[in-house]
Amino acid sequence: MKPSAKSMVLACMLALGTSAASAETLRVGMQDDPDALDPAIGGTYAGRIVFDAMCDKLVDINETLEIVPQLATSWKWNDDNTELTMSLRDGVTFQDGTPFNAEAVKANIERMKTIDESRRKSQLAPITDVEIVDDHTIVLKLDAPFAPLLSILTDRAGMMVSPAVAGSADAFAANPVCSGPYKLVDRKARDSITLEKYDGYWNAGEIGYDTIVYEIIPDSTVRLSRLQAGDLEAAERIAPTDLATVRSDDGLALHTSPGLAVSHLFISQKAGAGVLADNADLRHALELSIDRNIINQVAFNGEFTADNQMIPPSSAFYSTSHPMPARDLDAARELIAKSGVENPTIEITYENSLTDGRVAQIIQSMAGEAGFTVNLLPLETSSAIDRYLAGNFELYIGNWSGRADPDPTLYTFFGSDGSQNLNGYSNPKLDEVLIAARKELDMDARKKLYDEAADIYLADLPTVPLYHPTWFYAAQANIDGIKIYPDGILRVTGLKPAGE
Amino acid sequence: MTDVSLPADPVVGGGHRKSALQQVLSQPSAVIGGSIVVFFVLVAIFAPLLSPFDPNASDWLAIRQAPSAVHWFGTDDLGRDILSRILFGARASLLAGVIAVAIAIAIGVPLGLIAGYFGGLLDAVISRCTDALLAVPFLVLAIALAAFLGASLQNAMIAIGVSAVPIFIRLTRGQVLVVKGEDYITAARAVGVRDRNIIVSHVFPNVLAPVVVQGTITMAVAILAEASLAFLGLGQRPPAPSWGSMLDVARQFLTEAPWMAVWPGLAIVAIVLGFNLLGDGLNDALNPHRDTE
Repeated sequence: MKPSAKSMVLACMLALGTSAASAETLRVGMQDDPDALDPAIGGTYAGRIVFDAMCDKLVDINETLEIVPQLATSWKWNDDNTELTMSLRDGVTFQDGTPFNAEAVKANIERMKTIDESRRKSQLAPITDVEIVDDHTIVLKLDAPFAPLLSILTDRAGMMVSPAVAGSADAFAANPVCSGPYKLVDRKARDSITLEKYDGYWNAGEIGYDTIVYEIIPDSTVRLSRLQAGDLEAAERIAPTDLATVRSDDGLALHTSPGLAVSHLFISQKAGAGVLADNADLRHALELSIDRNIINQVAFNGEFTADNQMIPPSSAFYSTSHPMPARDLDAARELIAKSGVENPTIEITYENSLTDGRVAQIIQSMAGEAGFTVNLLPLETSSAIDRYLAGNFELYIGNWSGRADPDPTLYTFFGSDGSQNLNGYSNPKLDEVLIAARKELDMDARKKLYDEAADIYLADLPTVPLYHPTWFYAAQANIDGIKIYPDGILRVTGLKPAGE
Repeated sequence: MTDVSLPADPVVGGGHRKSALQQVLSQPSAVIGGSIVVFFVLVAIFAPLLSPFDPNASDWLAIRQAPSAVHWFGTDDLGRDILSRILFGARASLLAGVIAVAIAIAIGVPLGLIAGYFGGLLDAVISRCTDALLAVPFLVLAIALAAFLGASLQNAMIAIGVSAVPIFIRLTRGQVLVVKGEDYITAARAVGVRDRNIIVSHVFPNVLAPVVVQGTITMAVAILAEASLAFLGLGQRPPAPSWGSMLDVARQFLTEAPWMAVWPGLAIVAIVLGFNLLGDGLNDALNPHRDTE
C-alpha cells in the first residue's frame, strides 16, 4: 500500500501544482476577432474588450454611468464650459517605460485628430487645442461647450498610447504600447490574442492574473461548452437561449448588465430605396405591424428589453413620453391603405447570424399579416457590412453598441452629417436640437432637449428600434471581482482567482 | 455517305442477356434505394397535400414544442411545424440534387467525350483543367462558388453542379479511352463515319452506364452539399425550409429541443442512403464486367 499512497500524494501535488499554475491565466472566449489594436483606429466591440486590459483611459465609467477617474484623477470645467482642466495621475509609465505626462496626453489627442486612419477624428473635433499647464495638468480647449466630451474620453478616444512608438498606425497596431495592466505578447488572426501582465502598472495590486488569452470562438454554443469543459475562465455574449444551462450549472456564474446597445431596423431614406424611403405612414405601419415583445420572447427567451427608442430605458436620457406602441394590425392596415401603396414590398438586409436571421424572419411573418411582403437578404458578415457602410440597403438590421452619453448614438445616426447616418436621413430641426444638447451641460435642460429629439425622430421614424440586448457573461464560479457595466466590457482590474 | 449500321450497344447487345431493368430489379440494394428515392420524390411532389400546416407560418405560442398529437415532429424556434417543413424541405433537397447533377452531366460528359475521343492538345488542356479543379476538395469548391454567387437555392445548385463537373469529365474520358480501342469504333472510322456521329451514336451509348451510376451517387453528394451550404447560410433563403438550414438553427437548441435536429438529420441520412444504395445497385447491375465474372 505504501507506494500507492505515495503516488497518490504525488498525484495530488501534481494536480494542485497544475491548477495553481493554470489559475494565473485568464482565458476569455470571444465572439469576434478585434480589428486593429490601435485605439485611434479600432472599430469593434471585441476590440474594446481587449483594449480594457491593454490601454488605460483618461476617465472611466462606473455601474451607473458616472464618470470616474483613471489616468486623470480630477477635472474641472471653466465657467463658460469651453475649457476642461484635468489633473493627471503621478507615477504612471507606458509599457515601454516612457513616462505618462501632460505631453503624452497632448501627443495622443493630436495623433487621434490627425492620422489618416483615425476613427476618432469626429469625436475629438470639438477640441481645438491642448494646453500643457505643468507636467501633470492639461487643459482641453473647445470651440464651444461640448457635454459628451468626458463620456467620449471613457472610450477609445481617451486611451493613451506611448508617444515613443505611436508613429505609423500600421506598425503600432502590430505592436501596441499603452499604459494598461497588460501588454500584447502574441496575436494569431481569428484565433487568439495573448497578453501578459505589465509589472510597472500603477495599479498592479488589483491585477490578479499573469496572462490573459482572448480566444476567438464565434459560436456561442461552442463558447459555452468550452467554458463548461473548463477550457475557458470566462466567455462573453452567452446566447439568451443558453442562460438556463449557465444558471443550472453550479460551477458557473452568470454576470449581466442591462446594455446601452440597440438593435434597430434601419430604413433608407434615399430616393429610389423602396416604398418606405419617402413614406412615414408606411414606416409607422411597419412599426405597428410588429410586436417587439414577441421578438424578445421568441428570439431571446424574453431576456432582452423590448423597446422603441435608440436610448435604453436604463439611461437617464430615456424619453418617458413615448411608451412602446403595442402591436395594432388594424391601424397598420389603415396606414397602408392611406399611403395608397398596394402590397408594399420591402427587403431586409442583415448579417447572416442566427440571431438577426431569427429577428428578420419574425418581422417577415408579422409584417406579412399586416399586408407587407418582406424579402430577406442575409449576407455574409463582411459583404453585409460593406453594403451597410455604402448605404446600399432598403432596410438593414443594425446592431449599435451604444455609448454612455446619448449624443454618440443620436447624433451619429440622426445628425445630417453623423458618421452612422448611412440611410440619408436629414431633419434640420433635429440637427438643431441635437447640437443644442451637445452644448448643454445642465442635466435637466439636456434631458429636455433629448426628449424633444425623441419627439422628432420617433415621428419621422428613420429607423425602427427593436430591442436593447442585455450583456451576458458566463464565468467559472471561482473567479472573483467580475463586474459588468452597461458598456458590456469585461474589466480586468479587480479580477482574481477566488481565495487569492 | 451511307451510315453503316452497327449495334448501338455491342457490350449489352446479346439476346441471351436480361434487360437493364431486369438486372436492376434483381439487385436488392437498388430496389431498396430506389424505393426510398421514390418515396421522397412523392413526398416532394405532394408536400402541399401532405403537410398539416403552412411550413412558414409561425405560431408564437408554440415555440420549440416537443412532438405532440398536433405537431407530430414538434415545432421549431419560430413556432413552425417541423413535419411540414421537412416535407417541403424535400423539394429543396431533391431539386438541388437533380439540377446540380444535370448541370454536372451537361457540362462534364461532352467535355469528357471530346477530351477522350480527340486526344492531343484538346485532351491535355481539358484534363489539366480537370486535374486543377479536382485538386480542390469538392465541398470547398462549392462553398467558394456559392459564396461568390450569393446565397440562394438557385446559386447553390449551380455551385454544386459546377463543382461536380470534373468528376464527370474524368469518368467519361476514361470510358471513352476504353471504348475508343474497340473494334466497332475502328470499323466505323474505317468506313468513314464522321467523328460527331461516332461520338453520338457509338461512343456515348457505351459510356452511359457508368455515367448513370456516377450521376446517382453524385445526387447523394449534391443533396449533402446542399444541406451543408444551407447549414452555412449559403443555400435556400429564409424562411423557405431546407434540411440543412433547419439543422443549422437546431444546433443552438441541441439540449433543449433535440427534435429540431433529429428530423432533418434523419431525412438527410435517409435520402442520401437511398441514392447511395440505388447507385451501388445500378453499378452492380449495369457494370459490364460483372457479367463476365
